[in-house]
Amino acid sequence: MTDITIIGMLMEHWVSIIGIILGGICIAVGVHFVPVGGAPAAMAQATGIGTGTVQLAAGSGLTGLLAAGYMYMTLSAAGTPGISEVILICATGAVGAMIMITVTMLVGNWVYIYGVGVPPASAKVDHDPITGDSQAPYVAPGTVGQGMPTVCFVSGAIGGLLGGLGGSLVYCMLMWVNGDAAISSIFAIGVFLVNAVLPSYNIQGTIEGFHDPKFKRVPKAVLACFIASLLCGIIAVIIPGMSAFGGV
Amino acid sequence: MEPAMGMGLVALMGAAATVAGCSEDLESDIGSQSNPNSQVQLAAQVGYPHRIFNKAISGEPPSNAMYCAVGAGVAMVLIQSVNASPLLAIAIGAFVAALLNGVFSTTAYMGRNASQTRFNQYVYLDVLRNQLLSLMGHAYITTFCIVGLSYVMWHHDLIGHPFPFPVIAMIWGLAVGAIGSSTGDVHYGAEREFQDFKFGAGLNAADSGNITRFAEAGIRSSMDNAWFCSKFGGPVTGIAFGMTVFLDNWRSTAFSGWTAVVVGSAIVLALIIYNRQIETYARKKYGPYPEYAGDIEA
Repeated sequence: MTDITIIGMLMEHWVSIIGIILGGICIAVGVHFVPVGGAPAAMAQATGIGTGTVQLAAGSGLTGLLAAGYMYMTLSAAGTPGISEVILICATGAVGAMIMITVTMLVGNWVYIYGVGVPPASAKVDHDPITGDSQAPYVAPGTVGQGMPTVCFVSGAIGGLLGGLGGSLVYCMLMWVNGDAAISSIFAIGVFLVNAVLPSYNIQGTIEGFHDPKFKRVPKAVLACFIASLLCGIIAVIIPGMSAFGGV
Repeated sequence: MEPAMGMGLVALMGAAATVAGCSEDLESDIGSQSNPNSQVQLAAQVGYPHRIFNKAISGEPPSNAMYCAVGAGVAMVLIQSVNASPLLAIAIGAFVAALLNGVFSTTAYMGRNASQTRFNQYVYLDVLRNQLLSLMGHAYITTFCIVGLSYVMWHHDLIGHPFPFPVIAMIWGLAVGAIGSSTGDVHYGAEREFQDFKFGAGLNAADSGNITRFAEAGIRSSMDNAWFCSKFGGPVTGIAFGMTVFLDNWRSTAFSGWTAVVVGSAIVLALIIYNRQIETYARKKYGPYPEYAGDIEA
């Protein structure tokens, strides 16, 4: 394959590359919305969900990807899905991810409230920006908050929405390029993880959501994920043309 | 597919997911995997050697994703190459995944404890012998259920999902690990590991590593932890994963197009409102901490 052919392929699929970049940026921003407390949250020592950033974002985003994959198959029975169908598929994926993350946060709060005996409270703000409830008096001594107060819960739902939307968009774009659900699903998981790992350097273990001061670092993650997703998009377009090199 | 058949399959998947979630959490509690492991690891270093199993192989989502993908891969090979019965193939796949769990558990326990000899934390062979089979047993149940529900999703005569069988199992394995790590593990990490401290607060940073080492009778073992967590942490993890699988598949099966999206959004909204209610309940029930000395009114 000549260089001209590769450039031709990239030119032909430029819409898909832009879609993959947009999907990647959605995932990156979504990760910042998810309230993760990391290991300290598992000891009710920090506000947020007691697990890692990437793991939770991937868990919810990929659950949304399953829903999106099924919807894509249903809609593609009537021909290759167009823009309006892609919007529906992305919405399905976003809602699937939101369901997973809200159920997880709700049951997490059951454990904090009934199992550990603590009220959910944030240590990053004096009052919950949504409900106006005071937070500092409810933070246990020697900790930096616990559980998921309403602001974290809503932020997490938004994070799930963006993560699921981004993952589904990447999947749809990959399906436009190669039409193979197996390749597209595995590559979409890869792109998802790239864009979930990069922002975790911004987050450095814990973030409470959009009210956390660390949230202001989002532009840096957007830039990093733009570059990473651009590379992923270029590779995703070239892979289907590999047979021209004599490969599979 | 008949609507009744579709709903039956979704219910079956939800039930399998509930069992998988529960056993996944108990497996991580017995092995002290995931985030509470940081305290088990720290305990000996700050002067509290113990007989708790210690196996932070990796975060729960990647390890469960691996077990489930391996289980589904083996099952798929058996089904497609020797035309094995799906039930038998899934059972064999789950068994292979459980063996992998055994290998990782053994090397993780031996490696971690051997490296802590200088802190008087030794490799206890009886601890290894006693916990290993229960770890593998729980991993088997988790993998069997998840590979089973993934098979229902993947098989073209049932739900017929377009993703490959092992990829579906991998994604559900990742999800069950993420849920177990976020819900049930808190019951182990924040409550069971620190039962010597007064109920009603998270771990004070000053007490890090001071885990409870004595049980209701004798020295505490990881089996005691599984007994305690099976009363609350394990079942709620099962409910969380079961709810995720059921609600997500129910809205896709019972409704189509934008209706499914609207129904899903309504579920999310209902969960946000319910969360607010339990938050208010907890604030009223427990009240502010008496040690609080700031000027913000409760």
